[in-house]
Formats: sequence, structure tokens, C-alpha cells
Amino acid sequence: MPKAVKGVLVECDPSIKAIILKIDQDKHDYIVEDLDDQTLVIKESQLNRLKARLEEV
Amino acid sequence: MSASSIRSLEYLEGLPGTTFNRLYKQPSTALAIFRRMLPHLAKSFVMALLYISRPMPVTDLEAWVRPDGRRERDNAVNLLERLHILASATNPGKPRAYSLTNPFAASLRLALTGGGDHNSFGVPANVSEDDVVTIPELDEFARRQWEGVLGYMVGSSTGVDLSNSGVELSPGVQHLLRGGGLVDIKGRRVEITQDGFAFILQEVNAQIWTMLILYLQNAERLSMDECEVLSFLFTLGSLELGVPYSKANLTPTQCQMLHDLSDFGIVHEATPEASHFHPTRLATTLTSDAGGLRSSSLASSADANRGFIVIETNYRVYAYTSSNLQIAILQLFTRLITRYPNMVAGKITRESIRRAVGMGVTSDQIISYLTTHAHPQMAKKQPVLPATVVDQIRLWQLEGDRMKATPGFLFKEFNTQADYEAPCRYAEEIGVLVWKLDTQKKFFVTRHEQVAAFLRSRSGKGG
Repeated sequence: MPKAVKGVLVECDPSIKAIILKIDQDKHDYIVEDLDDQTLVIKESQLNRLKARLEEV
Repeated sequence: MSASSIRSLEYLEGLPGTTFNRLYKQPSTALAIFRRMLPHLAKSFVMALLYISRPMPVTDLEAWVRPDGRRERDNAVNLLERLHILASATNPGKPRAYSLTNPFAASLRLALTGGGDHNSFGVPANVSEDDVVTIPELDEFARRQWEGVLGYMVGSSTGVDLSNSGVELSPGVQHLLRGGGLVDIKGRRVEITQDGFAFILQEVNAQIWTMLILYLQNAERLSMDECEVLSFLFTLGSLELGVPYSKANLTPTQCQMLHDLSDFGIVHEATPEASHFHPTRLATTLTSDAGGLRSSSLASSADANRGFIVIETNYRVYAYTSSNLQIAILQLFTRLITRYPNMVAGKITRESIRRAVGMGVTSDQIISYLTTHAHPQMAKKQPVLPATVVDQIRLWQLEGDRMKATPGFLFKEFNTQADYEAPCRYAEEIGVLVWKLDTQKKFFVTRHEQVAAFLRSRSGKGG
């Protein structure tokens, strides 16, 4: 049965994606689904926090 | 459709069906939705179905649209269904058929042909000549009130003193701005937020709608009936500028609203106890497509609809204005260097753009602001702004964008390739598909309702 999941599709460079994966590693509270090396789906509520953390890098 | 009507549309779609039922009892609401919210094809469908008493089979309706217009047709039908204007019914033994929902159809017929004693288009008041407020006075009042609101928002963040505008914001408005996340109050200082910046750079009509939607969301907390508030807003949109209207037939909620709306400059009341009110231009253009707001009433003081900004290819900006509000807005994304009595000079720099982007303003908003306020001498040229400046503003924004984010829904776990391909193709046709990966049988869409309905209808058919 097909499933639909709510989230935010993030498209970025592989290098940025690697950083996002690293950020997610601590608590696994950002990523909903890892799609391919340039795309992933994250939780909508975490988008702003993720952006802020990317700025710090 | 303009940004403002999209915004109000999103709000409307979120309402439950019973609210729609009550809303559509007012002819002014039905007419306002019809003329403001619907694309042309949807209007044609409504007009065609309006005087047909029996439901029209789906296939007949589909035959009106050429095969290559399928996407527009689906969008129009879907929108009408979401707004509870069109309902499809399946009777056993008969093909599926569409008809207009009843309070809507009856109200729209009343609105178009007149008649009834619904008073939903306002009741003009009989007042003496002295009490009638002239149109220039109304425009001046609306401008002063609205600039007061905007000035309150930008004032303290940019350090430009706007206190001489002479408008004291009521606590209700201040509360609304803070509640809507447009400003943040730290101690006694008012700080503008990201959303606030985006708000400031919108056109006036969009700003008014944003504010009214905030007001609506707040209405329940003030124990006002959302439906009553909304239908009164649509009524306001159908009133005539410069005509006094009577308050006698209004409910207590609506009288309270009049009082609140006069804080924004949307309506004008001589005193809260007066027996009549005047709608201003902000009210009468609420539901018209014209959007002629900025040109007529707002912009800067006397030189109403004239542009005032000159930009040179060396990024220097000259703004012929003495309005503190205009200067404060300009300062959001330019580095102002000198100020003369009737003009300010400054420069667009990487830092100033990066700062604005960091606060949530997009390069497109800045560019469209500069374009719409370009000096007439600039506006004669094509393109209006120097290409180098436009490109550079975009590049400066991209510098900070490390990723592209699109909210929506991921569809996954399809059993077979065929199961996956059909909805995926459908999503592409109706224009909601953002991303797909054939090998993993996953795709991402911005809206899920139509795709979900498509999946349901398929699983129903296939068993």
C-alpha cells in the first residue's frame, strides 16, 4: 500500500548533505527520509533550526 | 492571481464545510468569492451551471475543455470543490454528475440579478451634507492610519524616527502585530521579525489581507464569530467609496469590528457612537481585482503614485522622498549615506543585501520593490533596473542559500512499477510534482489531496 509522509524536500550539494547527515547523527531528529546524494526529506518543524545550524558551519 | 488573493484563498480552504454553508448565505460573499478568487475557467463553469437545475454529467463538462487543457480543467474543478462551490454526486444507475452547491448558487443568483431583502451589500445612511466625508479626506485618513501601522513596525529597528507621524496605535493593533509574529517586543523596544520584513515589502492589498487574516484568527479569542467577521469583510469589499453607510442593521460583533478596522484605516468612523461609517479605499478594493491601492491612496504623501527611486549601474541609490516610512523601508536593504531635505542617497552593498536576506527578505522582493517604486525617468527604460544590479542582488542572495527547501508530501512504498508510474504521471500533469526517483519508486508533491484522490479511485477500480 502506498504511503504519504509530510515533510520538507531539501535539495542541496552533496557536501552540504554530508553536513546535514552529520548534524542529524546526534539525535536523529531532523531527517525523515534519505533519498539520494543530493536530496532528502526533513521534518517541517526543524527546517529553521537546520538552517541556523548550517549557518554556523 | 495576485499574492493577496492566494493568501486569502489558503485561509478559506482551511475552513470546515459548515462554515462555508453559512458564509454563502450572504450574496455579497458569494459574489466576492466568485469575482476575486476564481480563475476564468472556473468562472465559466460556475456561470454555465448557475441556471441549470439538474446536475450535469461529468463527461459533458469535460467535453467543453479541449484535451490539451486538461490540467487547467482539473485545477478549476478541484478548486471549486475545495471551496465547496461544486459538488459531484453519484446516483445509482446514472453517470457521475456535477452541480453547484445550494446556498452558493442561490446567493450568486441573488447577487447578479438583485432582489431580496438581505441587505448584504450595505445600507446607505441618510446623513446631512456636513457629515459626509469626502474621498480625499478618506484617502488621507487611510494613508495616515496604515502608514502608522507600518511605521510602528519598521520604526525602531532602523533607527529612523517616525514618531512625528502622529498616529497612536491602539493596544489591540499592537497585540495583533505581535501575535501574528510580525514584530517582537523586547522590553520597550519593538523589533521587526523575518515575517514582518516580508510583510513590509508586499503591496498594500496583500498587506491588508495578511492583517485581516491575523484578525480573523484572533477573532475567536475575542469571542467573535469567525463566520460573521468573514462575511462582513466581504460585505465591506462591495461597498462604495465616499458613501456613508448605516450601522443600524449591523450585529454587535460587526460594530466592534468597525471600531477595530478604523484603527487600520479600513473604515472611517467620526466617533464610535456615530450612526454611520464610511468605507475607505482600503476596504472597497478588498475584493476587486483592480488592486489599484498603491497608486491611488498610499505610497508617499502628496506625490501619491509617483516612483521616487533612481539606481545607477554603480549601485548608487537616490530616493526623492521625505517620507520617513519610505526611508526606513529603503534602509532595510541599502546603506544610506546622506540625507537632504527632499532626497536621500545611498548604496546597495553586499553587506546591506546579505543583512536583508538574513532577516528573511528575498532578492525578488527587493527587486520588485525597486521596480515598482522606480522614478518615472527610470521606468521609461527597458529593463527598468540596470541588469548588473539585478543580477548582483540575486547572486548575493544565492551566496547564502545552501539548500532549496520545498514543503510537501513524499509518496513511497508502491508495490509495482505500474502502481508507481500512474500517480506519478498524474502528479506531473496537475503540476504538483517536485521530485521523483524511479528506481526507488518514490516521488514528492506540494499538495497531496488530488494525488490521494487519484490513488483511491484507482484502488477502487482495481480492487
